[in-house]
Amino acid sequence: MIFSELYGVYYNTVARVLERAVQSPLKAGELRRIIYETAFAESALKIEPALKEGAWQLLSPDGSTALHYAPSMPLTTLQKRWLKSISLDPRVRLFDTSVPDFEDVEPLFRPEDVCVFDRNLDGDPFEDEGYIERFRILLRAIRAGETLRLEVRGRGDRTVTLHVLPQKLEYSEKDDKFRLICSGSAHGLVNLARIVCCAPSDREVEREDLDARAKERRRRLVLTLDDRRNALERALLHFAHFQKRAEQLNDGRCRVTIFYDADDENELVIRVLAFGPMIRVEEPEAFAGKIRDRLRRQLRLIHQRGKP
Amino acid sequence: MPYSELIKNFERIRDYMREFYVYGFKSRSEYTQKSARSYDDERRRIESWLGDYMHFRISSEAKNVFLSIDSRLTQHNPLYQAWKAKSFTDKDITLHFILFDILHDPKIALNIYTLIPRIDEYFERFDTPMVFDLSTIRKKLKEYTEEGIIRAEKRGKILYYRRAESTVLPSDELLDFFSETAPCGVVGSFLLDKKAPHDSLFAFKHHYITAALDSEVLAGIFDAMGEKRSIRIENHGRRGQTQTLRAVPLEVRISVRSGRQYLMAYVQEYARITSLRIDGISNVKAGEVIPDFDALRVRLRGMEAHIWGVSTRGRPGRETETISFTVCYREDEPYIPQRLAREKRIGRVDHPGPGLCCFSAEVYDPLELFPWIRTFLCRITEFRCSDPEIERRFFSDLKELCALYGVDEEAVT
Repeated sequence: MIFSELYGVYYNTVARVLERAVQSPLKAGELRRIIYETAFAESALKIEPALKEGAWQLLSPDGSTALHYAPSMPLTTLQKRWLKSISLDPRVRLFDTSVPDFEDVEPLFRPEDVCVFDRNLDGDPFEDEGYIERFRILLRAIRAGETLRLEVRGRGDRTVTLHVLPQKLEYSEKDDKFRLICSGSAHGLVNLARIVCCAPSDREVEREDLDARAKERRRRLVLTLDDRRNALERALLHFAHFQKRAEQLNDGRCRVTIFYDADDENELVIRVLAFGPMIRVEEPEAFAGKIRDRLRRQLRLIHQRGKP
Repeated sequence: MPYSELIKNFERIRDYMREFYVYGFKSRSEYTQKSARSYDDERRRIESWLGDYMHFRISSEAKNVFLSIDSRLTQHNPLYQAWKAKSFTDKDITLHFILFDILHDPKIALNIYTLIPRIDEYFERFDTPMVFDLSTIRKKLKEYTEEGIIRAEKRGKILYYRRAESTVLPSDELLDFFSETAPCGVVGSFLLDKKAPHDSLFAFKHHYITAALDSEVLAGIFDAMGEKRSIRIENHGRRGQTQTLRAVPLEVRISVRSGRQYLMAYVQEYARITSLRIDGISNVKAGEVIPDFDALRVRLRGMEAHIWGVSTRGRPGRETETISFTVCYREDEPYIPQRLAREKRIGRVDHPGPGLCCFSAEVYDPLELFPWIRTFLCRITEFRCSDPEIERRFFSDLKELCALYGVDEEAVT
């Protein structure tokens, strides 16, 4: 069962409290600090008195515990089954680690149980040995904060050399591709599948503030939605991964404000177009202009060739 | 019952979190099916779990609460927090830590009669020591044996209990990645909770997080699928109707473009293979083993050549329809045929002439392709469907779209 107190924040928090208390009695304020660091915003209201006043008889008033060992819990069958399913995913080989082979359990799901039906068909070559090796080098460099020299295949198979400071690996489930987010390249993004070689670099690359970069490229889009053909639910779910807010208008339509990265504008234009007449772009005018431009070009094709 | 941050049942919070996250425009008074007290409690809980993502908007009419999460900027799915808020009793938590302290090594095996005095020792320092009776401890040990964290072995007529063997977990990176991308990723999040806090090295684009709320339903479906069993489910339709269905679960179909997950199943009440939205399913109960399970799966595999999205049936009297469209592109726009090739799914792409690409497919439901075809507007030189009504609708939608933006609508005929 997934919804179990065994995985709960309260059990994890109390485990951390007791882990600390088996070493020596907790000092004043330590209990509350651990709760604030580990649990939910209001958890201290429950956990602190429960431990201090003896509803949970695990901690004495002096901050000591009768426990002898730091709390630990073996893996549940559910956790083992999930890990066994992960071990069947081809992407698992990207990671330089082993997933235990749990002989006593069946996988929670097998590859044939799941079909991602609208993923792009040209995903990264996750089983290619060279790709795996470069993936691991990049992960290590991110972890260690090391600069790398990348040989990157550009358009027309031209190779360019970049000296970058890798900061994160970004995975797109739709594209089934990894991109390296880094300092030192023009757009701060390099497709992993285009990297043909990576090695340590002795160049200094200044670390860019990713949050500041994201803020700088943040754009706002305002849409109105007409709730026909279940468009409201479809659109709100479709755009759910953006930071957004929605409000109902008096005429039954809905106004949605989406915040997106400027680099993704062209992709967002076609995603809005996909909803056809159920969505209208209100702001910014330049975005609406891109839609109008595409519609005019489509009409021109109709004029030139007759009905498509 | 006084307010508690923890909850016993997930179903109600599942509804509220979806409302706050996906919609987020309803005011307190619009949650009519639930009481005002219930609304206040659920809102307060979600705020406690996800305070950083909770927002409020006050208009002249009402105050709206909503969750706003940019999943590209978050390291871990914040909705997983709800799965970590299950309530328990004072005795549950106390006994849990003491049991595992006594059974701290897998080599230690004790029976219930030797466990009881060992447990009592832990309460000697308290003025009013807790008392655990035999049946409470036995019940807890049985529960933990079922969860796989305690092993029970019979010696003669007596059961001995010991903790399950410990396991070395895979790396933080592996868990960080798969907890966000694999089905039932919340289980990966539970594993991460066993590790030291760390910053994830990953970010995720086009990352839909709502499916997290359906994890228990999905796990129930996978359980039944693994054992080739039927399931009994409650299926909640878009218009609020609820139906109890008996189904043979065959496949979970996940969309990474719409954020939805579907169960492909043979539904006995409909006597056919169909799709059901997983976010509309609750109360999954495993049924009997289905001898025809493999044959039904083979039947679904055969149908998949005509399933663009999830629709498994054509219009009455028509099995499938043929749909095709041609796009034009310039020599310096190779990304257009490339895009068609990578997004074609079950369709085929031909090159009828220089600068032209033709997509065609034979599908149960051509309407499912409309959103994708519209993304090529400005390049479509030809659009055909064996169902004339589909052609008519495509062009009438285009006409309406042009009118919406004030673009020369007269030209669309």
